[in-house]
Amino acid sequence: MITMPRTRPLSLLIVDDSTVIRNRIARLVSSPQLPPIQIAGLAANGEVALHMARETRPDLITMDLSMPNMDGEACIEAIASFLPDTQILVVSALSDKATALRAILKGAHGFLHKPFTDEELLDSLIELVA
Amino acid sequence: MTHTPLRPQDIEVFTEAITHYFSASTGELASVRSAYLLERGGPVIWNDFNGLIEISGDYQGSVCFSAPRALLSHVLLKMGESVFTDERHGDIVGEIANTLSGRARRHFGEGLGISPPRLLNYPNTIFEVQAHSLPYAIPLRWHGYEANLVVHLEACGGAG
Repeated sequence: MITMPRTRPLSLLIVDDSTVIRNRIARLVSSPQLPPIQIAGLAANGEVALHMARETRPDLITMDLSMPNMDGEACIEAIASFLPDTQILVVSALSDKATALRAILKGAHGFLHKPFTDEELLDSLIELVA
Repeated sequence: MTHTPLRPQDIEVFTEAITHYFSASTGELASVRSAYLLERGGPVIWNDFNGLIEISGDYQGSVCFSAPRALLSHVLLKMGESVFTDERHGDIVGEIANTLSGRARRHFGEGLGISPPRLLNYPNTIFEVQAHSLPYAIPLRWHGYEANLVVHLEACGGAG
């Protein structure tokens, strides 16, 4: 099989109710360790994220779980139903195993616990796009 | 319904969470001192910004991170922020409270229900105390700044 080189940057939707965390993730994805990534949108809750995901159809999503309006689990389930190929990385403080397992079962592809170092986020994103 | 106060090993979880938070987020260790009971009970607010997480499920009460503006400014700087508004300080104090509570689920399990953070603007905000037992304060020092985590929590029914 011949693999065609990607002609456009990957698109990323960042979902977190903290502006500081959204900004931090947005800054880190410009790292040369990652392939080119374009920010498709920044969402502060699941409801806005769902709307943006429908509009922008991102390749990648970083998803918080504890958020107002619609939480991350419900948002993952909804997005996975119409964007099955989108890679979703949960970035959450909720560190019990049951929550991580449930997020994966609902359609997430990875889980990064907060607080995270820059290196941990980059490693998780590299794994996600591999 | 029975209400079971926290045990020393439960409080230790929050102490470890503070140490881990500053180490991972800023690359620098915080000095966390011994937790003590706040004898007077009720809300105790010490600082400029106070991020509150309400706890539900198998446990009830709250977790509040209370910090001076200067500490939060320094954390924002370490995280690469260049905007130092009240909004950004309120954001990070809530995020710290959320992260410390979330890490405690490693010990308490998913029965520790965690609300999104909200800001307490004492004395303008009425804070309804949910737990019956006394709160614990966990003091910490980072870069010369003093802050506190106030854990006001108890297990309901058979949890704990």
